[in-house]
Amino acid sequence: MRYVKWAVLAIIVVTLGSFLHYSLPQHDVVRVVGTYQERQDLNDWTRIFWSSPDDQSGTLSSRDVQFIQTIRTNGKPMVYRNEDTGWRWPPYFKFDTASLQTEADDLKSTADAPKWAVVTHYGWRNELISIFPNAVGIRAVEGPDVTIIPWFNIFFFAFLLFLVVLLRRMWLQFRERMVDPALADAGEAWDSVEARAENARKEARGFFGRMGAWLNTWRAKK
Amino acid sequence: MIGFLRAIVIWAVIGAVAFFVLRIYGRSLRREALEKEWDATPGDGGQAAREAYIERGMEAYEGSLRNRLLVIIFVLPFIVIALLLYLMNYA
Repeated sequence: MRYVKWAVLAIIVVTLGSFLHYSLPQHDVVRVVGTYQERQDLNDWTRIFWSSPDDQSGTLSSRDVQFIQTIRTNGKPMVYRNEDTGWRWPPYFKFDTASLQTEADDLKSTADAPKWAVVTHYGWRNELISIFPNAVGIRAVEGPDVTIIPWFNIFFFAFLLFLVVLLRRMWLQFRERMVDPALADAGEAWDSVEARAENARKEARGFFGRMGAWLNTWRAKK
Repeated sequence: MIGFLRAIVIWAVIGAVAFFVLRIYGRSLRREALEKEWDATPGDGGQAAREAYIERGMEAYEGSLRNRLLVIIFVLPFIVIALLLYLMNYA
């Protein structure tokens, strides 16, 4: 039973953790080397890793997606998709895809004369199933070793902690004020039911007990 | 456009749920505090006076600033959305 409990707990933590890791913004220091636009088929299960812009027909099975090609500070490539999130999930309310693509184009540089930039993005890169993180912002920085303070995530987790504490206190208050008194009432009601049953049993013992005792007097002695 | 309306509706529902739950929680806290206040220094009149005291206190609480400020929770999601919209697209 204990293993089941830990397994369920682990599944919840991993699910919640990967959900947050996918949705929350992260920052990469990169050098933009190019941008391109490519037709993407959107009719298999990896559809969930692509956006659903407002102006797209629901029955459309492929569409053009813009990409930003970059090299990270460790020399490895990273390709971002550049899509509107619109009003949908995750709630980035990003509508400036075309502007972002222009900014990225503007920051293009070569290895000899690198221009470093911080890309804010969410999502995962996976080569096997061809999914890309969605870039939501880009800004030029001095060099590859800038310090980035993740303000949004700091506020987000502070708010999450506040929410958890608040919900816990609400639940405790609800239990103290509503559930416990109701249980106490039910307990009293149950006690009185039990008391009556006990009385009835005693009476029965009295009456039937006496009857039984009287009947027993007619039985043959063993 | 549909997406915009849906987002408005969803966030309004979330705001409304948070508003009513916090309202109930705030009332519950105030009522408990009033009960404890009375029990610490009970006046004359027994149970009826205690209930009257609590009801008076609750009526005062309904009009209090703290209770009224809870309305902010209704508009909070929209302030956050407007802020995010600005920061994401125009900043």
